[in-house]
Amino acid sequence: MTTDKEKEALPSSANNNFNIIEMNNVGLRYDQGPEILSDIKLALKKGSFHFLTGKSGAGKTSLLSLMYLAQKPSRGAVSVFGNNVNFTHRDNLALLRRKIGVVFQDFRLLDHLSAFDNVALPLRVCGMNEREVRKRVTELLSWVELDRHMQDTTATLSGGEKQRIAIARAVINRPDLLLADEPTGNVDNDIAPKLMKLFVELNKLGTTVVIATHSEKLINDFAYPRLHLQDRGLHIYYPSDISALGGIHA
Amino acid sequence: MPKQPYIARKQELPLSGDATSLFLQIMISIAVFIFALTLSGVLSINSMLYNWNQSILGSLTVQIMPVNNANKEKARAETLTYQQNAVDFLQKVDGVTKVTPLSDEQLKKLIEPWLGDGVNIENLPMPRIIDVKLAPDAELNFPKLARDLSQASPLASLDNHKLWLSKLIKFADGLKLMALTILVLVLAITSGAIFYTTRMSLGLHRFTIEILHTMGAKDTYVAQQYARRMAFLGLTGGLVGLFFAVPSVFFIASLAQGIEGGIISEANLSFNDWLLIASLPLFAMTIAMLTAYYTVKRTLQKML
Repeated sequence: MTTDKEKEALPSSANNNFNIIEMNNVGLRYDQGPEILSDIKLALKKGSFHFLTGKSGAGKTSLLSLMYLAQKPSRGAVSVFGNNVNFTHRDNLALLRRKIGVVFQDFRLLDHLSAFDNVALPLRVCGMNEREVRKRVTELLSWVELDRHMQDTTATLSGGEKQRIAIARAVINRPDLLLADEPTGNVDNDIAPKLMKLFVELNKLGTTVVIATHSEKLINDFAYPRLHLQDRGLHIYYPSDISALGGIHA
Repeated sequence: MPKQPYIARKQELPLSGDATSLFLQIMISIAVFIFALTLSGVLSINSMLYNWNQSILGSLTVQIMPVNNANKEKARAETLTYQQNAVDFLQKVDGVTKVTPLSDEQLKKLIEPWLGDGVNIENLPMPRIIDVKLAPDAELNFPKLARDLSQASPLASLDNHKLWLSKLIKFADGLKLMALTILVLVLAITSGAIFYTTRMSLGLHRFTIEILHTMGAKDTYVAQQYARRMAFLGLTGGLVGLFFAVPSVFFIASLAQGIEGGIISEANLSFNDWLLIASLPLFAMTIAMLTAYYTVKRTLQKML
């Protein structure tokens, strides 16, 4: 949640058709190492849904980290919600991040906190009042069937339960952009469709979604375009292209 | 609608578990202890200077050197004549309210600490002393007065205590400067310790801070959690330091009272001085809080 005053502080992106994320000739390297990503060009429209695929080590997590503003590109320009991250003030970057929900492959929960506190985190950093925080978190934890574990520290939960907490934390703020790294990798077969349904519903409400996955089943079950990382470059395939090519190996 | 339980909010950064907390608390308590002792020293010197200044303000001392003559009786009579001349002159000076030549008995008491009580003062070539009291608004030209006095009574010399006092003030100023250096050093060392332990803690909690940043937390959000924790450590450490410092100040004061001569025993701490010393834990709290806050803000600037 971003306050009205804070929204005013951000550069305007009033046009509804603007690109949520834009990358132009983006390259990324760590320290003096080789480029992991090269000449990435990407434009994600508001309300779009994409899968992000590629072999292990292809740079999926790095590309996502550029999207959720965890790092700046080594070269090229990344714009998020119309703001070039190279020229955006730190405090404004924080405000942009509040509009982004992230589900990490390794969950990245704070194990000294309860499930409740973990999910409440994005609301509290925005300064939401505790009454509203309690209402929203309780509802969402109940929806992901973890209300029984509300006060348990996340260290005591199973992998699948942690995954659901991580997803609940990512969506609690009703983000404009949802980025998920293997979000259904650790959950039971009956929970996975429910979580995907949540992503689809959020997308219908206008949230732009990018899901990094290895799951061919997931990709085949949902006919969304695919961003495929190969040889440090990014290729975009639409469902019709994929069937014509006879599939792409994630 | 699911039931909403009451859940006590926990701090996202588990700073209370930091191993450096106890170290900082002890460090701050020692710093406040030293600070309180040094500060009470500075305040005592100030009060001592004030008391000295007050005691000599509005007074003069005139000394009549003894006449040198083999005939002691004659010499004493001549010296007393010079004394009387000086008294007569001083009584006519504007601004002088009282002129009191010290009696033999009073002079005997003055030299008693050095020569003992069995001395016959009449056999000694003793200078005579005249105590002169001035009106509070007296505006005397001391060099002119000294010249006029020596004309009226050639063996008389005027002492307005300024030389004696200026030497003492110089000495006290030196002590104060030394004490202030100690205060600055204590402050710098404490701030430095807080700076480095805060930076160490930031490294320790890097993962949590990254998560907070990802969720949209501004640097201020993280800095405030550190500032709150350091404020607590500063206040509790400060109170412990003060708890040990107050009896120590009383102990040192009681030792000083035992010194004869009345110079050191004139150092008394006023209510305001005690109030200042009692506020040291709050001062420690503020310093700890601000140091931590700005250290965090500055360090996080280097992260995206």
